Amino acid sequence: MSIQVTKYLAQAVLAASALTASAPAFAAGPLCDKADIRIVNSMREIAQPFHAALDKGGRMFAEWAGLTDQYVLQLNQGDSDKQVSLMRSLLATKPECVIFNVEPNSDTAFQPMIETANETGAWLVTHWGHPANLKVAENSNWAAHVAVNAHDAGVGISKAIVDAIGGEGGIVALQGRLDTDTAQGRFKGLEQVLAENPKVKLLDNQTANWDRTAAFPIVQAWLTKYGSDIKAIWAANDDMALGAVEALRAAGLAGKIPVVGVDGIPEAIQAVDKGEMIMTVSSDATYQGSIGLALGYCVVTGQIPQPKDWPAEHRDFYLKLIQISKENAAQYLVDPVLASYTNTWECDKVFSRSVGPAAG
Amino acid sequence: MDISAQLRRWGPLAALVILFVGFSIAEPTFASWQNLQTIANRSAIPLILAIGMTFIILQGSIDLSVEGVMAISSLSIAMVVLNNRTGLDLGLLGIGVGVAAGVGFGFLSGFIVTKLRVPSFMVTLGIWSISLGTAMLISGGAPPIIHDQLLRTLGLGYFLGIPNLFIIAAVLVCLSLGIQNYTRFGRYSYVIGGGEDIARLSGLPVDRFKLLAFCFAGALSGLAGALESTRIGLGHVDIGLGQMFAAITAVVIGGTSLSGGRGGVLQSVVGVFILAVLANGMIFVGISPFLQKAVQGGIILVAVLGTTWHLRDRMRIIK
Repeated sequence: MSIQVTKYLAQAVLAASALTASAPAFAAGPLCDKADIRIVNSMREIAQPFHAALDKGGRMFAEWAGLTDQYVLQLNQGDSDKQVSLMRSLLATKPECVIFNVEPNSDTAFQPMIETANETGAWLVTHWGHPANLKVAENSNWAAHVAVNAHDAGVGISKAIVDAIGGEGGIVALQGRLDTDTAQGRFKGLEQVLAENPKVKLLDNQTANWDRTAAFPIVQAWLTKYGSDIKAIWAANDDMALGAVEALRAAGLAGKIPVVGVDGIPEAIQAVDKGEMIMTVSSDATYQGSIGLALGYCVVTGQIPQPKDWPAEHRDFYLKLIQISKENAAQYLVDPVLASYTNTWECDKVFSRSVGPAAG
Repeated sequence: MDISAQLRRWGPLAALVILFVGFSIAEPTFASWQNLQTIANRSAIPLILAIGMTFIILQGSIDLSVEGVMAISSLSIAMVVLNNRTGLDLGLLGIGVGVAAGVGFGFLSGFIVTKLRVPSFMVTLGIWSISLGTAMLISGGAPPIIHDQLLRTLGLGYFLGIPNLFIIAAVLVCLSLGIQNYTRFGRYSYVIGGGEDIARLSGLPVDRFKLLAFCFAGALSGLAGALESTRIGLGHVDIGLGQMFAAITAVVIGGTSLSGGRGGVLQSVVGVFILAVLANGMIFVGISPFLQKAVQGGIILVAVLGTTWHLRDRMRIIK
């Protein structure tokens, strides 16, 4: 008899606790005191407008969240080991309150950073592309990966170029650093569009390593070799596209031969507006520089559950890309308005720019 | 002269001719007037840098700060001529500002090398970082865009069919030949490179000439950065990317020995043209971009082996 009573009592207690536990969706309290939170942007360098915009995004978020003095910028100058050691250097105290928003310098930087995060409890959000064998969902502290679909970006600008030349003619392509996923992905996008448009011929492709000073002599050599056979110039990023524009300018052809690029830097948007480029694609650097910090902030303040409880499409997702052409260039020429970003930092809207799950 | 000395003397020029003829046969448009203009365009800035590097290397030193000095010069000129960030409008004087920035850093390098006796390798490495870092600070993620049309025409334009920048480079080459052959600075640079201790013991003002070489190289790096900026149209932190290695390579391929004491401006000119013809020719012939770096590296290796073969018994350290 007493056993049965205890059994009923136990069941009642279990039922009661189940009810209270499921009442509010995010029952967790904050993991950290606000004063202990540190938000970090880790990137290659700050000289290029893209990276400056990343940093600006981070600072804008810091100010909005009241963490201005707790924002840290880490620059690794292209050295993956340095990126990892800079990360570790911040984790001596209260590592579970440090949030890293990272532009990984190379594929090899991922594993050590993920391991560091898992071991210390720090939070990691990465961008662009990650090695296929690493799965976000299998790592407790690799909160999210914001994937930028290089292939889609490549396809978008390639279609624009094919349309601009009426579906036939010769084009030349400036590739980025050949050993990066970004460069290869964008070029595959071009190859896909070319396969669908057999009357468009790729006369030559060279690498200018993302750099406009390197792109200039290559385009000059092409203009000499192919002359008026070149109907358009495809570039894997804006810096190279702008170098191509200057080479065209030297030959009196700026604005007469369509040029495309990727990144959406202010100079490129101006060129699109002027007609010297016809399209650039932006992943919105200001957004990328802030969203990882916002995600981590929502976690450590207890406003959203921990990443291990997120659905798969929130752990690894594709970022919405913005195609900027003559039609919409004007609206992107002005400085970004804070309101368009605070929307995305609110914890219930923090995944609003996802366009779907990425690989995993 | 024995065979190896003949090879050393005429080898580079012969290599240049062979490369040029070879590419022309493979692709006839390579030898067209328009492509000669393209090659001239591509050679202008490396020529200016190679001149400065020649005197430095002749003396047995090295200058690794080229890229940083070009960067700071680029930012300097872009901020003082008509641009989108400041209200200044100095026009052609802006080039002088770029050169001045170069001289400043060159003087700093030379001072530390001569007065504090730190090896030039380390000093110029540090100056590279300092000048590049200063350029990054000035750029601040919003590179100043040059709106001065006169300067843009200077950078992109032609005079009688010859690129303006190439004309400037050619004038500087002639000037430097004069300096090399007819001034004390020029002639004694060979002596300093050949044997610095002996030069000092002979009472030569070695420190003064070394300082002068660094100032001269700095001025030329500054000029190169300023001129390249007029060509691409903005103050760019990465404007010198790869130029330091290219300049040293050109000087060595041309026949100036890294250990100092032999070579000269004309040899470096040949070296610059070899690299320019090679880079341009590989595009014309259609060598895969994946292979180009390997081809360049292979040719550089052969050239360096050729010019230092006679030294293989003695290990000389760069001062």
